[in-house]
Amino acid sequence: MQSSPQNNSDLPPELCAKPLALVGVSGLDTLNNAVHKSIWETFSNNRRADRSPVLFKLIGNAHEFPVIKPKRTSYDWYIPKGILKRNWMNKHLYEIPAVIVIFYDLDWNDSLWNEKMIECASRVQSLRAALEGRNTRITVVLIQNTLPLPPGEDVLASDRAISLCASCELNSTSLFVLPHGDHLQGYAVRLESAFYEFAQNYYHNEIKNVRAHKEHLNKNSHQYLLVRHQYKMGFLYELKQDIHTAHKHYTHAYNNLLEIRIVDTNALEIRTVAGFINYKLCKLMFALNLPRDAISQFKAHIDRFKSRMGFQELTFEHYAWLSKQFSVFGDIFDEAVKLGLPAVQTQHPGIYYQQAAQYAILRKKSCQELCGNVIAFPHPDPLEGSNYLEFYGQRPWRPGKLSAEPPDPQLESNGIQAIQFLEKQHPHSNTIVALYGLAISQYKTYRCPRTRRHLVLQMAEEYYNSHDFGKALTLLTHMLADFRSEQWWLLLTDILEKAIRCAYLTASISDYVILSLEVIGKNSQLNLEHKKKIHDNIQRILKKQIPFGDQRLTPDVLQSAVIQWQPKLQIEPIHLTLDLGKITSCIETKARFMQNKYEADQNVTVEVYIKCTSPLPLVFTKVAVTINTPTYNSEYAVDNVNLSSGSLEFNTDEVKRFVIEFMPDSNDVNNEIQIGAITLMMGTPEDSSLDLKFNPLNILNSTCQELLHFKYCPDKLDFDNILPLTATTIIPRHSKLEIGLEYAIPALLGEWFEIKMFINNEEPHSIKDMKVEVTLGKDETISLTEFSTNSSGIPDKLPIALNLPSSLQKHEKCTGNFYLRAHKVVENIIEVKISYTLDRDKPVISIKTETIIVPVVKPFEITTKFLSSLMEEVSQFYVGEEVGVMPSIRCLSPWPIVIESTAMEFSSPFKSTENNVVSHLANTKLANKEVGVELFLGVCEKTSESNVTVGQYMVKWRRENGLGTTSQLTILGYPCEWIPLELKMIAPAHGLVRTPLLISYHLYNRSQQLLQLEIAMEASEAFMYAGYKQFNVSVLPESEKTIQYNLYPLIAGSVALPKLILTIPENTGEVPDLRQDQLKSLVDRSLPTHLYVMPQVKGSPPTPDAFKPRKLAKIK
Amino acid sequence: MAVCVAIIGKDNSPKYFCCLNPDEELGFQYKVLSSLDVVEEKLNTTNKGTNDLRELYLGMLYSLETHKIYGYVTNTKIKFIIVVDSTNMALRDNEIRSMFRKLHSEYADIVCNPFYIPGDAICSKSFDVNVKNIMTGTV
Repeated sequence: MQSSPQNNSDLPPELCAKPLALVGVSGLDTLNNAVHKSIWETFSNNRRADRSPVLFKLIGNAHEFPVIKPKRTSYDWYIPKGILKRNWMNKHLYEIPAVIVIFYDLDWNDSLWNEKMIECASRVQSLRAALEGRNTRITVVLIQNTLPLPPGEDVLASDRAISLCASCELNSTSLFVLPHGDHLQGYAVRLESAFYEFAQNYYHNEIKNVRAHKEHLNKNSHQYLLVRHQYKMGFLYELKQDIHTAHKHYTHAYNNLLEIRIVDTNALEIRTVAGFINYKLCKLMFALNLPRDAISQFKAHIDRFKSRMGFQELTFEHYAWLSKQFSVFGDIFDEAVKLGLPAVQTQHPGIYYQQAAQYAILRKKSCQELCGNVIAFPHPDPLEGSNYLEFYGQRPWRPGKLSAEPPDPQLESNGIQAIQFLEKQHPHSNTIVALYGLAISQYKTYRCPRTRRHLVLQMAEEYYNSHDFGKALTLLTHMLADFRSEQWWLLLTDILEKAIRCAYLTASISDYVILSLEVIGKNSQLNLEHKKKIHDNIQRILKKQIPFGDQRLTPDVLQSAVIQWQPKLQIEPIHLTLDLGKITSCIETKARFMQNKYEADQNVTVEVYIKCTSPLPLVFTKVAVTINTPTYNSEYAVDNVNLSSGSLEFNTDEVKRFVIEFMPDSNDVNNEIQIGAITLMMGTPEDSSLDLKFNPLNILNSTCQELLHFKYCPDKLDFDNILPLTATTIIPRHSKLEIGLEYAIPALLGEWFEIKMFINNEEPHSIKDMKVEVTLGKDETISLTEFSTNSSGIPDKLPIALNLPSSLQKHEKCTGNFYLRAHKVVENIIEVKISYTLDRDKPVISIKTETIIVPVVKPFEITTKFLSSLMEEVSQFYVGEEVGVMPSIRCLSPWPIVIESTAMEFSSPFKSTENNVVSHLANTKLANKEVGVELFLGVCEKTSESNVTVGQYMVKWRRENGLGTTSQLTILGYPCEWIPLELKMIAPAHGLVRTPLLISYHLYNRSQQLLQLEIAMEASEAFMYAGYKQFNVSVLPESEKTIQYNLYPLIAGSVALPKLILTIPENTGEVPDLRQDQLKSLVDRSLPTHLYVMPQVKGSPPTPDAFKPRKLAKIK
Repeated sequence: MAVCVAIIGKDNSPKYFCCLNPDEELGFQYKVLSSLDVVEEKLNTTNKGTNDLRELYLGMLYSLETHKIYGYVTNTKIKFIIVVDSTNMALRDNEIRSMFRKLHSEYADIVCNPFYIPGDAICSKSFDVNVKNIMTGTV
């Protein structure tokens, strides 16, 4: 194949290479000498940015440098044949070194110094000869094994260096020493910078030479040379790394170029060179951190050349060039961005890639226009030697021709034909797609999602144009979602139309159907006629017929599409499941549960609304919903029985409502169930069917839902305002059992509290397997409360199961009861749970629970008092002295309680002194706050330091109509002491004024010792008495002494008796265990102080029996 | 004279679109949609600063070879876009601004219409006429 003329627009590599000062390296044998190899690698490898900007080139001994051209002294008759020579840049970049370095192994103290010096000199000479006429700087580097001494100390070295320089005819600054040792890298860097300095000098001189020509040129005939020289200077300055000045010269070159008159023959050349210079300029401006200048230079450049078409027949060449200009600028820009230039959304490389792609499209179009008729490559090859032309941008069939000469028309047309033929072979689409790819990635980086989408669409279009329908379809379908979500319906329709065409051409049935269903919907802005056609095509697919293609398609494409369709429709019935959940198709669906909660035995109702916006009627064969539960998914269809014929046929904008009912699974109780999908079927399962799945949550116009109520809606069903409810909860069924619990709170502590229960079956069915359980709601009260199912008083373990009939007929009732007994004052929370099964076709387990709160209170409070024989409260017991125990029951219960009986069980050492104990409170009814009191007599028989346990007081009580309960209380008394003396006074119950009466004091000695006491009787105003006034008495062990007084009351009333005073005689120290204070308290508690004396009866009333002298006489 | 006017809702969906030449509508829609990228970006960056005294006029969004696209955003994030021919040098920034202001007041009128549901596409005939007048500069 011939060399491609497209190179005209491509940039040559030497142009794009970064210019570096060229340093020739000679004398290194990198193949055989390890030392040389390591030196070469140190220089040439690892060239990081901080190293000097030089390029090293190995030069062999036999290297031939480009021959220098003879110097021209006058330009008067010289007419340049072109602007830029093809070989010039390459020559200066890679062939003519600025500096030549001759490496030579030589130590200062080498034994063969002279011989080697001569050899080195000869090498220098030979290179100098090869470079005849060039200003290349020659330097010598001696590779030495010994380390150099500090300068000035090594006399031998400095002598020999001078002689070496002399023999090589070198300046002493051109001689270097490279000790081959540890710090090779450091030496290399230093040498390098020395070479770089030489190179800069060299290029400076070269620039001077070029500049010197300027005076010889005149503007009329040497316009090309003006451009060339400025370009050369710019390039050399670049080699010198002076990019500021380089930029200046390139600008001159560009401006000079613009002054050249453009004609057909030189149009290509000028355009090409302008592209080169512009490239250099833009690149340098980005490097100089002048991005704005670069962009405006580029824009001006394009503006200038955009209209310079050149040959009409080769318009595509112009577009190729423009496209290249843009893509190259994009590259430069992108490179600058990668080096840290900040780009913005409105100015970034992607814009240029996009333009490049657009020009590439123009190129393709003009190629299609112009090259359609070219079928053969002309002979002889007019493009022969196009790669060896002397100048850039010239036509190979007339190289170096000046514009003045008229071109040979035959040759021209052959050349044009050849170029057109080659252009026809060019893979345009690949180029365009690649450029779009670059642009898309840039737009993505600079946050332009919508522009990016647009580019993707253009890319798809290009794929379509290149007949790669599959790729086009993929790209288009990927873009649909974004346009849909932003509701750009016109654009969406445009894309859909293209996508449908692609789907048709690739015979992709599912894509075709989905896209068709969308495009015939209400949002699509396709005209009615097309919609109808597409509607027909869907029906054709259902009938397994090949749909009709778009008439705008070319016959050959249609043909191949039909061939692809045929096998797909002929095989097995088509069953496609299509997910329409995310698209805005011609069918809109909504589904909702009718309630937030359903009971387990209720039918779950789902309402499905379907709206059809296709222009022609659509017929479905099935409507179903998929219900998702945590465990499984199931599908429920609208009953065929309930569907009248035609109810699944939808006219345009018709809304229909379907109801689906089903029974929830009992496993789903307490779970959420959801509407997973709405499924519509088109066609029949036997033939070919389309399962269309919709997402029930797909609402697009959700922005102002509440405003939709204002929409005028003439239909009966207001589709827009139906809010989907796609989740519902299955709750346990509500039991219709009636439970009555009868009880009278509060419960009383310790009683068996009865709770009566009534169950009434109000369910629509009879029930069976009924179980009634009673438990406590709070665990902490379990140990404090007992339950029982019967009144026997034997507690049962929790939970207790009530003994009730296990089945009940409809409206049958049953009753039961249970008891509880609390041992502490707490609140009992009692739960009654009834579980049963409904006796019907599908048995449902139901549960009914009832909770009651039973507070507990104390029924009564018992306090006990202890009394002496004088009915006075005591706080101390004495052995042998009788004590009255007086418990009082204070009722606290809100309702009356009946005391059935009470009993006092004295416990040792206490014992009862009564022969016949009767409960005084038996059968007493105590209302709230009433108190019942009774008295028991007892005596303590032992001393006790601590409080004596008197005994158990038992109260048997019940509520009125309640069960009897026995409460027990331990009664605690006081400490008990023992004293040897017992004192008792016996006196009549009352006396009469002026009637004598007898009182006697009994002293009993309980001890085993003699008890001697002094007794005195105080005088009293109320009595006259007869008896001892004061005397000593001795009481024998365990015997009694009686002292009697005869009293004669003088006044009536409750009269103080004469006081008896007992003292222990001072002289007898033998009275054991008896102290004076004990004696005093004994007297106080044992002897009454007063006596009732009646006034004398008028006349002579009969003396009461008790006072008959007969009785008196009895007193001992 | 503007060649195209678009009103874009806050969800970036088109509410109104008008071209002098109806055949070019598709191309203009793509252009306007692309320019929304710039609008979004401007809103994102300016919102961080002083958002109380925000200038509604966004200036030029895109300068294409054939057209210039200008943007304007109301406080409720309704975007107005005006596309002008690149060759039209008569329209300066001030004229564009006043077109936007007129457009804004027309839009305010249509929103006040009780029969218009905010968020729907605008299909009022009088609005259409008024906008066309604004575009051609006859008001």
